[in-house]
Amino acid sequence: MRNLIYLIIRYSALFLFLVLEFFAFYLIVNYNRSQKEIWAHSSNLLTGNLYKKIEHIEDYFDLRIQNDSLQNENSKLLEKIINYRVLSRDNAFQKFESTDTLNNYHLLPATICNKTLNLRNNYFTLCKGREDGIEVGMGVISDYGIVGIVNSVSSHFATVLLIINSRSNISVKVKNKNYPGSLVWNNSNPDILNLINIPKHASIEVGDSVVTSGYSISFPPEIFVGKINDFSIESGSNNYRIDINLDYQLSRLEFVYVVKYDLIEEKQTLIQMENE
Amino acid sequence: MNSVLKRNIYRAIFVLSVQLILLKRIDITFGDFNYIHFTIYPIIIALLPFKTNKTLVVLIGFMMGLFIDLFYDSLGVHAATACFIAYSRYYILMLIAPAEGYNKEGLTSYAYGFVWFVSYISILLFLHLFILYSIEAFSFVYFKEIILRTIFSFLASLFLIILSQLIFNPKY
Repeated sequence: MRNLIYLIIRYSALFLFLVLEFFAFYLIVNYNRSQKEIWAHSSNLLTGNLYKKIEHIEDYFDLRIQNDSLQNENSKLLEKIINYRVLSRDNAFQKFESTDTLNNYHLLPATICNKTLNLRNNYFTLCKGREDGIEVGMGVISDYGIVGIVNSVSSHFATVLLIINSRSNISVKVKNKNYPGSLVWNNSNPDILNLINIPKHASIEVGDSVVTSGYSISFPPEIFVGKINDFSIESGSNNYRIDINLDYQLSRLEFVYVVKYDLIEEKQTLIQMENE
Repeated sequence: MNSVLKRNIYRAIFVLSVQLILLKRIDITFGDFNYIHFTIYPIIIALLPFKTNKTLVVLIGFMMGLFIDLFYDSLGVHAATACFIAYSRYYILMLIAPAEGYNKEGLTSYAYGFVWFVSYISILLFLHLFILYSIEAFSFVYFKEIILRTIFSFLASLFLIILSQLIFNPKY
């Protein structure tokens, strides 16, 4: 104890110096605004940089969740647009009171697991199946336009018959002109589709948009398909032969939305009854 | 001894008055160039008698710095600097001790020669200004500005201090 006191007395200048310096720095940081900010900033320079790096790394882990939430949000927005479109067309001359009861189209976001694109019959495999609510015959769309129709479903997977499949046949129309036709794929070029069954009296132009008709049970109306690239009248035929340029590349897609139509069974039975 | 104490008190009052009333207001700016600030108060610590208790020197330095801070609106900045200078004064003196040792009354140019005094006050003043502006900037991000400010203020202040010594040339 005596030694300690002796030590303190001997180095009293040093001790006093240190104490006073600490006190001075305490004053500086607490009573000078800019120094306080700089101190906060400097500590941020150290820790902030570290946090930034950690966050940067964490972002990668988070990416999938972020993607899923964005996808969900997107599907909800698209759903709203589709339902609104149907609603406003069906009720063009009256006010619609409640929109909730008329939301017949629902979108189920799905990730693409596998793609075949360079064959004659091309398919996507989706990572969602019956347990997620996907059924055979549902339409599949993307942010850009239509993709195909669900062909077969297992409990966790589903295959999509793409529009660039020789078996594909989808009811479409020329936008704003309402000529209905069928969308098929006859050639081997994945960027060009064919629109058939448009009568030759129809006035169409290059550049017209082609959208889904909404007559089929698979797709809501007004989903974008492509633009007319070229058209000609085949000799001896009553119809145009129209080439449609697909604006988006199916090979690039990662996420799609499966269209679920609530009244699908009702419509299906009605069509079947008519056919019988 | 009593007269030494009196002399130091008068000197402190005079130097502080000049510093706070006169030199604080001098603002030399040429466009972007505003690196000159006169700081002469370290001379109060520098000219304290050699035999002064080290602890007392530290305390005096701190009090003086705090007093100046009250006028400069920078509570703690000058106090920390002056406190540091007061503590390191002894080691600077040891560093440049004359051959015959410190056996005279005051630490002035009259006692130990002009060259010794200039080197002594230069080390002290440069250290003081460098620390002062470093603490003021509080970050070495502004290192270039700290250095420029230190160098120009050092030259200007050193000129004033040497001038004052030449005019008054105190014995102690």
